Amino acid sequence: MKRVAYRLFRSTASFQYRLGRQLTPAGKLVLVALGAAGVIGFDTNRTVGYQAFTLLAALLVVAAAWSVVFRVRLDIQRVLPRFVTAGAPAAYRLVIRNGTVRPQRGLVLLEDLADPSPSFDEFLRAREPGEERRNWFDRTVGYPRWAWLIERRRGAGIAPRPLPPLPAGGAREVEVALLPLRRGRLAFTGVTIARPDLFGLVNALVTIPLPGALVVLPKRYAVPDLALPGVRKYQRGGVALAGAVGDSEEFVSLRDYRPGDPLRRVHWRSAARVGRPVVKEYQDEFFVRHALVLDTFVEHEESDVFEEAVSVAASIACSIQTKDSLLDLLFVGPETYCFTAGRGLGHTDHMLEVLAGVRPCRDKPFRALRDAVLERSASLSGAVAVLLAWDAPRRDFVRRLRALGIPTRAFVVGDGTTPAGGPGDQVQHLEVGRIGEGLARS
Amino acid sequence: MTPPVLLGAAVVFWGWETGLLLPATALAVLLEGARAVAWRVDFSRRDFHRISDLCTVVFAGSAVYLFTASGTRVAGAPGAMTVLFQWLPLLVAPLVVCQAYSTAGKVDLGAFLWAYRKKAADERDPSTDALDVAYPYGVLCVLSASAANVRTPVYYAAVCLLTAWALWVVRSPRFSPLWWVASLAVASVAGYGGHVALHRVQQTLEEMAFEYISSLVRRDTDPFRSATAIGHLGRLKLSDRILLRVTPAAGQAPPFLLREASYNVYNSPAWFAVGAAFTSVQPEAGGETWKLAPGPAPEASVGVSVYLPRGRGVLPLPARAMEIDKLAVVRLSKNPLGAVRVDEGLGLVTYRVRVGPDAPLDAPPTGFDMAVPAAEAVAVARIAADLGLAGRPPAERLAAVAAFFRTRFRYSTYADRPLGQSPLEDFLLRRRSGHCEYFATATVLVLRAAGVPARYATGYSVQEWSRLEQRYVVRARHAHSWALGWVEGAWRDLDTTPPVWADEEAAVASAFEPVSDVGSWAVFLFSRWRYGEGEEGVARYLVWLLVPLVLGLAWRLYGRRRIGRVTTEAARDEPAPRHAGADSEFYLIADRLAAAGLGRGPAEPVSTWIDRLEAAHAPVTADALRGIAELHYRYRFDPAGIGVDERHALRARVEAWLAERAGAARARAHD
Repeated sequence: MKRVAYRLFRSTASFQYRLGRQLTPAGKLVLVALGAAGVIGFDTNRTVGYQAFTLLAALLVVAAAWSVVFRVRLDIQRVLPRFVTAGAPAAYRLVIRNGTVRPQRGLVLLEDLADPSPSFDEFLRAREPGEERRNWFDRTVGYPRWAWLIERRRGAGIAPRPLPPLPAGGAREVEVALLPLRRGRLAFTGVTIARPDLFGLVNALVTIPLPGALVVLPKRYAVPDLALPGVRKYQRGGVALAGAVGDSEEFVSLRDYRPGDPLRRVHWRSAARVGRPVVKEYQDEFFVRHALVLDTFVEHEESDVFEEAVSVAASIACSIQTKDSLLDLLFVGPETYCFTAGRGLGHTDHMLEVLAGVRPCRDKPFRALRDAVLERSASLSGAVAVLLAWDAPRRDFVRRLRALGIPTRAFVVGDGTTPAGGPGDQVQHLEVGRIGEGLARS
Repeated sequence: MTPPVLLGAAVVFWGWETGLLLPATALAVLLEGARAVAWRVDFSRRDFHRISDLCTVVFAGSAVYLFTASGTRVAGAPGAMTVLFQWLPLLVAPLVVCQAYSTAGKVDLGAFLWAYRKKAADERDPSTDALDVAYPYGVLCVLSASAANVRTPVYYAAVCLLTAWALWVVRSPRFSPLWWVASLAVASVAGYGGHVALHRVQQTLEEMAFEYISSLVRRDTDPFRSATAIGHLGRLKLSDRILLRVTPAAGQAPPFLLREASYNVYNSPAWFAVGAAFTSVQPEAGGETWKLAPGPAPEASVGVSVYLPRGRGVLPLPARAMEIDKLAVVRLSKNPLGAVRVDEGLGLVTYRVRVGPDAPLDAPPTGFDMAVPAAEAVAVARIAADLGLAGRPPAERLAAVAAFFRTRFRYSTYADRPLGQSPLEDFLLRRRSGHCEYFATATVLVLRAAGVPARYATGYSVQEWSRLEQRYVVRARHAHSWALGWVEGAWRDLDTTPPVWADEEAAVASAFEPVSDVGSWAVFLFSRWRYGEGEEGVARYLVWLLVPLVLGLAWRLYGRRRIGRVTTEAARDEPAPRHAGADSEFYLIADRLAAAGLGRGPAEPVSTWIDRLEAAHAPVTADALRGIAELHYRYRFDPAGIGVDERHALRARVEAWLAERAGAARARAHD
């Protein structure tokens, strides 16, 4: 039953997509008018609507006949920015070279994005918010779920772009407006050149494969200064990726060699002078290091709550000044990830790129994230946790962090049905749809 | 946006076709005037929703009004649906006019689809999907004009012209205008040929379907041909459906017969009416009285209600009908064999028939009324001879034939394979049982053989009193046939079928008959109301119901002052509207402190300002100021506002504070 419905939706959606490309807006109006005239003029004795019907049908047939043959050779280059932000209008350029010996006029450019249709498994697993309140038919057949999934998976809105006249053999550069709708990777498969017929009703289409992709960063909200409290903590290994490669560069003094000191720390000139190995000693690094903990444990793949949580995390990542401190982004995907930014290490942009690709984790318990954070607790000055629920494990997690003396700000993103904590919990509840408002109050 | 004048032209065309030229012209001027006028109204999404709701209510009201009022007593007028569709451009005009004079220039999709409205209500930041309704409205005008059904070439020509006009604007610059014109010409010619062909196809199909259905229905009301079941095998089963409702004349006792048609030529198994062309009957003044014969008609009358599918059909009439009264139809015609046919009328008619002394409807006998077909001639002649009819007066011959059939035959709806050549011969000579068609046909032929001109009549027998409806009802199984004999210069009914036929038919009636009767009655009452046969005047008052509805909606629309008027030029120069609480006395304090060099910084919150003053040990009573500021804030920003008492309190406290400060200043000056 579900499979039949899925096939039907898929084929209908594909038909609609193709029809939508094949017809210009005027053509769509003519098609609708044709249908209306067909209904009204069904009885040719009662109204003369059938006369309008045959005229419109003839127009569409003539227009379609004009659109059968269309050959054009265009070389197109797409110049994409590295990343754009979800919900923020952006633009990119296309360089189009007319490879024919005739000037080309009246062409329209349509971008081909990757097919947003979900697979059957995804369709089965997905749960539309509020689906349980729908009627039996909608729940069983699942059209609202399909429509919701398609809407969610549509990467961007790109309006058809009429092209300027292209001289024979010449090139033109056009700017295309783009409205990224959701974070992640936006994949382009090609470019379709549409040529409306002489009535402007039916498009003749030529598709040119032109793959490309760009990263859409998560949508961000204005976050007031979080004023994270916290003390400077000893960072083993110093700034140069505190904990990854290299040592701190702040020279303090020389001292005698002790077994185990690395050879590269031996100060050879002093050793030569005093006749025994002398090593350089460096400053222990103390500075502020915050953790931005993102909860990725949701039940369903497509979740508004999760998307908003990523946005909140992105907003916070941008608002924390990382000039003098470090910010660790911690989350669990297929494995546990820790991305550090600040003090010349990583840039916030990179962190946003990481956030653009975060997927929900459905095969591990929340414990995995908790352990990862607690492991690093010694070096943390403070933590910001963006959580998806306020249940016992999460409560316990925040309590333990605070018990370790790490000041922790917790944001719980919910859809309004999430049970709120008591006043003693010191968490900020953010409701989907009112995130900006909730953050402004923080 | 449509090109100039196109939409106006479409509206005028619609008005021209539908006869609503005056409102259409006004509407066209209004729509096109928007181009010349800079005046615009800033309609919000919700305003468009309300306007759309208004259109819906007006549409629903018009539908109710038209449904109840249209066609009442004006048969032949277009149906309610058609009129409603013709009015549609007028009914949705408010939306289009509002779009034309709106700053947005488009209508929010929520105005058409509840789903969008609901979605917008659910979402905090709804997307702004909007539609320019100008072109769809033009299409609507053209299609609504088609409902006027003016079958001249004007419609097609105008549609071609308007379409070409609209298409010219969106034509592709790639092609030469010559190609464009040529292609349009091809499409127009193809469209013309297509619609002519389409109309012909429908006509052909209709004819074929009509013939097919006629062949399926055993009893039809074709006044030229009556197929009988003579010779059919098996059991006849007729339905219990109620076809007629009859109120007999005073003193008239059922059972009596209502004739639909009579036929003069038998060609087994069908009867035909030959030489029975219809001539139209002219109504008397008033249009509801139809005289079938000259002379004064008696007062007593039989009332009949009958459904006429598609407003056409043959009327069942009692014998010797002289005049039909209260019959609201457009065209009526009659034939020399006594059939009266409605050519154009309503789906249900109720009429009264006045009956005269003789039968003026039926023409005197002709040669056809004496002919006996060769196949039945031998058997019929034999019966006529057996009865010894020759030489007796016609009245006696009729009585003898009636007695013969009554005593020697029995009624049966079951027919077996005929033993002889002709089923009728089998009936007369061997089986001697059959249904009414056998009896009637045999009677006619025997009478003819005996020298009495005779015809075959079909119609209904009125015999069942309905306690539910308090009138006589006639069911499909009461369909009957009988003979007409020409006796002493008049046609007389001669029903030789044994009277038990009705009981036998009733015995096999469905057990659910009482239930279906209630449904049938409900349909009848509804149809009477539908065709305006009930209490008149109700429909007339319904239209007044629209007035409070429209007023109420208009009040909702304008009463809340949601619509702000914006003149495009003036909009920029207008000062910003004064915000709530702008008259708060707190500003006096702010001014006073600013004059003293303790003013609020730009964008500094009042509470921070007071804290700052306090921290700087400024000579102000910060606590009193905080109390005032709190009240001021509520006056300024609380959506619910503050009460009258609190307003007074604010004023009083500010005055007290200012007085105190002035006093302190004086004291300082004094020192």
